[in-house]
Amino acid sequence: MRIHQLFLKLLNVTSLVLIILIFATPFVWMAVTSVKSLSETITFPPVWIPETIRFENFTLAWESGPFFRYLVNSLIVTFSILILQFLTIVPAAYAFARYQFFADRTLFALTMITLMIPTQLIFLPVYLQFSSWGILDTHLALILPFAANAFGIFMLRQSFKQVPEELLEAARLDQASEWKIIYKIMVPMAKPTIITLLLFSFITHWNDYFWPLVMTTSDSSRTLPVGIAALTNVEGGVAWHIMMAGNMILVVPILIMFFFAQRQIIRAFVYTGVK
Amino acid sequence: MNHLWMTLRPYTMIAPALLVFLLFFIYPIGYMVYLSFHDWNFISPDKNFVGMNNYRALYDHPEFLQSVENTVIFTLLSVVITTVIALLLALWINKPTKLYGFVQGAIFSPHIISLVSIAMLWMWLMDPQYGLLNWLLELFGLPQSEWLASPDTALYSLVIVAIWKSVGFNTLILIAGLQSIPSYLYEAAELDQSSTFTSFLKITLPLISPTLFFLVIINVISSFQVFETIDIMTQGGPLNSTSTLVYFIYEYGFRFFQLGYASAAGVVLLIVLSIFTVLYFLLVSRRVHYQ
Amino acid sequence: MAKITFHNITKKFGDETVIPTMNMEIKDGSFTVLVGPSGCGKSTTLRMIAGLEKQSSGDIFIGDRCVNDISAGKRDVAMVFQNYALYPTMTVWGNIEFGLKNRKIPKYERKQLIEEITEIVGLTPYLHKKPQKLSGGQRQRVALARAMVKKPEVFILDEPLSNLDAKLRHQMRAELVQLHQRLGTTFVYVTHDQVEAMSMADEIVLLDKGEVQQIAAPLTMYDYPKNLFTAQFIGTPPMNIIDTTMLPAATWKKSIPTKIGFRPEKIMLAAQPSRLHFSLPCTVLARETLGTEIIYQLDTFAGTLFAKTFQQPIINSKNLYLTVKEEDIYSFKKNNSCIAPPKGVEREIKGIVQ
Repeated sequence: MRIHQLFLKLLNVTSLVLIILIFATPFVWMAVTSVKSLSETITFPPVWIPETIRFENFTLAWESGPFFRYLVNSLIVTFSILILQFLTIVPAAYAFARYQFFADRTLFALTMITLMIPTQLIFLPVYLQFSSWGILDTHLALILPFAANAFGIFMLRQSFKQVPEELLEAARLDQASEWKIIYKIMVPMAKPTIITLLLFSFITHWNDYFWPLVMTTSDSSRTLPVGIAALTNVEGGVAWHIMMAGNMILVVPILIMFFFAQRQIIRAFVYTGVK
Repeated sequence: MNHLWMTLRPYTMIAPALLVFLLFFIYPIGYMVYLSFHDWNFISPDKNFVGMNNYRALYDHPEFLQSVENTVIFTLLSVVITTVIALLLALWINKPTKLYGFVQGAIFSPHIISLVSIAMLWMWLMDPQYGLLNWLLELFGLPQSEWLASPDTALYSLVIVAIWKSVGFNTLILIAGLQSIPSYLYEAAELDQSSTFTSFLKITLPLISPTLFFLVIINVISSFQVFETIDIMTQGGPLNSTSTLVYFIYEYGFRFFQLGYASAAGVVLLIVLSIFTVLYFLLVSRRVHYQ
Repeated sequence: MAKITFHNITKKFGDETVIPTMNMEIKDGSFTVLVGPSGCGKSTTLRMIAGLEKQSSGDIFIGDRCVNDISAGKRDVAMVFQNYALYPTMTVWGNIEFGLKNRKIPKYERKQLIEEITEIVGLTPYLHKKPQKLSGGQRQRVALARAMVKKPEVFILDEPLSNLDAKLRHQMRAELVQLHQRLGTTFVYVTHDQVEAMSMADEIVLLDKGEVQQIAAPLTMYDYPKNLFTAQFIGTPPMNIIDTTMLPAATWKKSIPTKIGFRPEKIMLAAQPSRLHFSLPCTVLARETLGTEIIYQLDTFAGTLFAKTFQQPIINSKNLYLTVKEEDIYSFKKNNSCIAPPKGVEREIKGIVQ
């Protein structure tokens, strides 16, 4: 009986370790490759510990293209999206949560429909539209379509609805204007939801590859993921060590963020997925 | 004056968001449907009305049919396998200790990484000559695979990547679902001397099934949109074996500038997505009724 | 300070009429309690005074000012809510200050006002805590302080004590009455609890189905109820009511009232019927001993009645006679209006009923 139990426990722990390995090894392998020499990447069986740790791979990767420009573009685009989303979502969520007005349900349904339209479906017409506006290959083309977020409106509306009516009445008796009610009472109360949403939006747009790929044609507006993906086409054959070094630049900040804010990030994705 | 403002206020508050949706989501859909009945190459000034011709051409186009088939196979395999593994994992690692918390974090981590990195990393792992996967296969005395290099295995390789990326997310959502099942139900079952398996069948499965259906639908919808891994890892090849619907639209719209034709393919995708969206909303409204 | 006048007020929610027509005056500086069963329209009335709800027709005056078109914030009315409605993201100080800031009161003046008020309600040590960290009683005080600091003309309190435990509620009742005396402002207080109404009010407004049943001082309302509803609503246990068809016709001398009633504490219990007074045979169904008073539930052929005795020995025997003096008997007309003794029934009822 005892031995049986011990065996089960051992099996359980081994399987858990195996699971962790399945998910961690690729990242470890990425890190190992990123500091190898070219010759070490093309040996079989593979080398686990490189002879010398070549940090210059990162410099090589970074200098193989205008990566500083890409980084700046990524930062501009992502943060512009976050700020604009905050500015459009909060009033819209408040109106949907707290006012009754003509066609409110229809307009809300319209918002919810957008939730189900993937960018992969509409990139072609939007591309043509942007081309006629002359904003292709600019930051605007990467920011504008995401200046609002149906999902955010939906979530924040839920959380605004939970604020008791009494509180708003108290504020009205305190002579607070509607705007003041929003930013002094509603927004502070919905802070966890707002942080969750912003975190979710940040990761989504920081990582986004598809939209910048189709909307940009030059380095002046390309973002980091597009730049990193272009490392596959480096002249003179495939340079896995450089590619992995480039990807480390993209992945490590997110993984560090995940390490420190694991709880919130998981909550952001699971919560947004379930609700 | 005051009254007028009271009436207009909600509209002004939703206007910015709504404008974005209308301009960049709703209107483009209409424009795409319009384009799908026309022949246009982007450069010529006129769009010629061609009626259903684009759709007929699609129907006769082996490459299109192949990409539809690929999309269906990809979706079916990745959704079914992901869901099954996720359910098993969820039942297993749904425990509050630190070790299990760490495992949950580990399996979730691919979900927040850029698909670009995931695609490039797995390309490297699946390298037929120097890749880690072939080394592992050899280590266990198994035959090596061509992975992405062969039309026979490329699509399945993409399925593996898709599963690896999304299984953690699915597991955590299912864990959230499991945790919302009140524990007194299991206690009552235990008092009724129900076995673990019976409890699973009679309590867990029925109560988790809304979450499960929900997951299946959002997985299907996101599988239909797969693009990044294909663009980076295979570009639809070899021999068109990994081209999907979205990739087909991208290629015909962006490489060959057959805008009407690509739009028609877009409308096909729209119809498929709408069906699942309607299913999703039906489900959501059902779920509201439960509570 | 101001009186509040309702002139032909009606209120409808969609098709549902909550208040058919209401005319009343709440006296300047009074502690007026609106009381009634749930759904009687008391909260709606209160919210119309505050401006949180707009009447469907009619005029409301606060003082001499018609406030129909004046928004809630500008009516010079402060309100204490049932669940306190404290802003959870602000400290006690922030909660009290919010309204002052919105009125653009300069900083040094705000500081002075807040310090003064928090001193009065005893919140000084908690100024920088968030409401979640406070006990129910302390939250209540913050809500009061937040209302008081605005120095309003009218104070409105919507069931403010319903979330407190019995002991604290008792204490707060006394504090509120003292507070009212100190401020001298008009207080309008809503409760469904008639005991609260009796113990605190200068004047009670009793509502039922959106209509004012009676406006009177507590004891007046107790002694001289205007109608059957008032008679039964005020007092615990409620007034005993007997349908006269249950009694033998021989009981009556002259005209027959529809119903008669008497308060439980007016009942005397004895082994023998009284020859001089109204008397009924009864059986004791149950007994509640509450210290100085004892409540008996009695079964009679005219229905179940309650009797209350003070500082009297417990009666153990089962079969008794209840006796009520004629001057303690109220009579009710067909339209439920009440004639209170002594001019009511007076000597119309004779002797015992066997």
